[in-house]
Amino acid sequence: MSSEEHIHHPTPAQYWKIAVVLAVLTAIEVGLFYVDQAYDLGFLNAAMLLILAALKFVIVVGFFMHLRFEKSTLSRFFTAGFILAFSLYAIVLTALGVIAIRGG
Amino acid sequence: MADLAHETMADHEHPEHESTGVENRKLGMWAFLSSEFLFFGALISNYLLYSNRSGFAGPYPSDIYDIPFTSVSSFVLLMSSLTMVLAHNALTREDQAGTRTWLFATAALGAVFLGGQVFEFTEFIVEFDMKLTTNPAASAFYMLTGFHGAHVAIGVIMLLSLWGISRRPGGLSEKHGMNLELVGLYWHFVDIIWIVIFTVVYLLSVPS
Repeated sequence: MSSEEHIHHPTPAQYWKIAVVLAVLTAIEVGLFYVDQAYDLGFLNAAMLLILAALKFVIVVGFFMHLRFEKSTLSRFFTAGFILAFSLYAIVLTALGVIAIRGG
Repeated sequence: MADLAHETMADHEHPEHESTGVENRKLGMWAFLSSEFLFFGALISNYLLYSNRSGFAGPYPSDIYDIPFTSVSSFVLLMSSLTMVLAHNALTREDQAGTRTWLFATAALGAVFLGGQVFEFTEFIVEFDMKLTTNPAASAFYMLTGFHGAHVAIGVIMLLSLWGISRRPGGLSEKHGMNLELVGLYWHFVDIIWIVIFTVVYLLSVPS
């Protein structure tokens, strides 16, 4: 299929296990949402939800999109786009007071 | 001339490789997906900017989110990434039947997600009277989730096209294998964007 085909990719059984991990992380996210509704965890809730989302993001990109097994050129392309967008909008939202308002 | 024609044909028959060692189309898809971060980043930032702006008529999206429903939709889209990667894996093992099955399952899960979004929009508009122009937060919400839904719809069309090709005699060839890989990358990207939207726009927007 591709020039990188010789690289060992996960087996279907491993893909199912990864999907179970993703499902569990999603369940934790939703559970955390309800705990926050009941006990108002504040910043801790936001931090934990963002960490869980970042974990899911990395797992899908790394294993389902195979970025973990691809040439570093692709990783650089993708990471550069993400960092550029993240930095740009973080600066914009900070300048407009959105991030500060939410943190406070 | 004949040599040139032969060479041109050969170029079309075999995947081109640049000095990067990655096929051009694949590199192009990764570059496109990378640029999509800027597109969705703008829409998410727009939502964050307007989601708490007071002084407009309600309801605001965060007042009427149905978190259990959206959680199920998110789960469906997440699992469609599994079926997508299983379709790709089946093709690498030359399992045409498996490829067909998982491709169709992915398209079906994508269609279920889209159905959920149509239901959610309908409920917001009909039950809660939150239209596109009700307030800036509503506009930002519909813009963001609507554009994401459009991406999912395009993905479903591409998946069904591949599924249709896979049903022909001989199934998916090596040439189509790369197409499936590219559609798969696009599909997973749509999924990771939703992972961010679900957390930032839904779970973190609802006040405690």
